[in-house]
Amino acid sequence: MMCNEIWVIAEIRQGRLTRSTHQLLGAARKLADERNLQPAALLIGGEQVHAEELAQKIPLVLRIENSGLETYEAVRYAHALRQLIEKRGRPKVIMTAAGSSGVEFMPRVAMRCDSGYASYCVDLFWEGEEPACRRPVYGGKVYEELAISTVPAFFTVRPGVFPVPENLSETGRVETIPIDLPEDTGLRIIERKGISPGKKDLSEALCVVAGGRGMGTPENFKLLEKLAEVLDGAVGVSRAVVDAGWMPHDLQVGKSGKTVSPGLYIACGISGAIHHVLGMNTAKVVVAINKDPDALIFRNADYGLVGDALEVIPELIKAIKSKT
Amino acid sequence: MKIAVLIKQVPDHEALVRVKSEQELDIENRYVCSFFDEIAIEAALNIRKNHPESEITAISAGGKKAVDALRRAVALGIDQVEHLGDESLEMADNCYLAYVLAERLKAIQPDLIICGKQAGDDDFAATGPMVAEYLNIPHVSAVVSLGSDADANQVTLGREVEGEIWYLESNFPLLITAEKGLAEPHVPVVMRVMKAMRAQIPGIPLNELDLKDKKQQGRLRRLRYTVPPERADVAMMREPYPQNAAELIEHLKKNGVI
Ligand SMILES: Cc1cc2nc3c(=O)[nH]c(=O)nc-3n(C[C@H](O)[C@H](O)[C@H](O)COP(=O)(O)OP(=O)(O)OC[C@H]3O[C@@H](n4cnc5c(N)ncnc54)[C@H](O)[C@@H]3O)c2cc1C
Repeated sequence: MMCNEIWVIAEIRQGRLTRSTHQLLGAARKLADERNLQPAALLIGGEQVHAEELAQKIPLVLRIENSGLETYEAVRYAHALRQLIEKRGRPKVIMTAAGSSGVEFMPRVAMRCDSGYASYCVDLFWEGEEPACRRPVYGGKVYEELAISTVPAFFTVRPGVFPVPENLSETGRVETIPIDLPEDTGLRIIERKGISPGKKDLSEALCVVAGGRGMGTPENFKLLEKLAEVLDGAVGVSRAVVDAGWMPHDLQVGKSGKTVSPGLYIACGISGAIHHVLGMNTAKVVVAINKDPDALIFRNADYGLVGDALEVIPELIKAIKSKT
Repeated sequence: MKIAVLIKQVPDHEALVRVKSEQELDIENRYVCSFFDEIAIEAALNIRKNHPESEITAISAGGKKAVDALRRAVALGIDQVEHLGDESLEMADNCYLAYVLAERLKAIQPDLIICGKQAGDDDFAATGPMVAEYLNIPHVSAVVSLGSDADANQVTLGREVEGEIWYLESNFPLLITAEKGLAEPHVPVVMRVMKAMRAQIPGIPLNELDLKDKKQQGRLRRLRYTVPPERADVAMMREPYPQNAAELIEHLKKNGVI
């Protein structure tokens, strides 16, 4: 059984819908319009206020309800989605953000539904009647375009690749769908701890201010945090900084850390090793600040400034704050 | 404890990879065992240190180059390895590969399966979760710590979830995918490298597996490879310090970046 819908699985973090969710609502509306389909937001667990907020942005909100869904867990999500699909029919496309939970549960659901899955997409489009995606492979050295011939097509999308749509004003409908869950999936959460309390989420941020070994000392990262603050951005670091024990691994950008696609990436005292560049080369605008004019990072930047990051950053903050 | 580690040979991060045609890539001949897979191997070896009776099997599915990944596993200290399938798997999509691996794992019946978080070539991050789903066992992706208290029945583990670290407890069987931090791969000793070079790598042909489920095949269709969007030449700031900072911000403001 099919249904003529495209589903976006909404994400809530710290009590709010994430920016990626808004971006995907825009992407889903566009894909749906092009093939006369109905875009819908899916809320797995979550609260009524979130359902209502979504209903102001998209015509249909499906709220999957079961008290076992209050905390995220891949196996439960796979059960929940499979049941929703059985009840409503197979939508054309199911998408969510390629965050740490998205890339964990989506392949499970795809396998359970005998359907195709592509991760870390940077674009979604129709290839004839088949949903298709573009995604970086080999660390972004090349891209591939894949079509999914089975229904539904499952995609996780890199945060930041679609714009946040403006002026969505809908009076959408909320449907609540109760589902059953297995009692015990074999996994139990014992404790949850913040790793970098108070820090902005790196993969969601529109601006990332990143520091490397050139920042000199762990204390100097306070400067970087100030710059991030005036730009409403998040702090990222190179692996050299993590290996030196200056900053935690969850802030590392690169091939063995996080991949980010912000609108603006400012690299301060980072040499631009390929391993680092592979994690940030899909950023829209890259600024590099390095005291070595031959640093590799300048080859992957739009704007370059040769200078001492520790001197330049306070000047940048001043210039950003000045109104002219 | 029975442990299976799933590994893959991929181009080195520094290897040149270019688009040759829409359907073909030009890949420099520099292959290594995928970064996160070596962490998976090391994590398995760490468990064996605490539980010397543990049996570890490393499995790599794919064409001839899979053998090199398995030699690396032997060099690092794993005794049982299996090369699954043949060149035909190089073109298979992620679901099919997971299906083939899962069918083999059914026969081995490991308590714990460890994979890398994602492969260094297609970056799918899908094999682990798909294998777990097919085997109907729980899984946790991007694990950064495994409790040393693992016993025959359960294990505690840590994983990063969007700025938090979650500690979980799980029964076996379980599948985890390895994130950086889970274990620190060691440099193999020369004796083991020599042993690995001479080792017989047993192969298991696909026709020895029960692969009749046709719906596992051909869910993804590659349309084409494309060249990544090029960044324009860098614009260097020309003013001396401290005016160069203002110059930069002016560019960013003028172009609507900030
Ligand atoms: C398998 C593998 C995976 C890896 N994964 C990653 C990864 O995910 N992420 C990552 O980042 N790296 C990764 N690396 C490491 C990578 O190769 C580099 O070693 C690392 O990125 C270097 O970090 P850095 O640029 O901070 O330090 P360095 O290379 O030491 O560069 C410091 C830079 O700062 C500049 N500098 C010094 N002082 C100043 C100053 N006062 N003001 C301005 N500039 C200054 C210098 O000119 C230099 O360019 C990986 C390596 C391997 C082998």
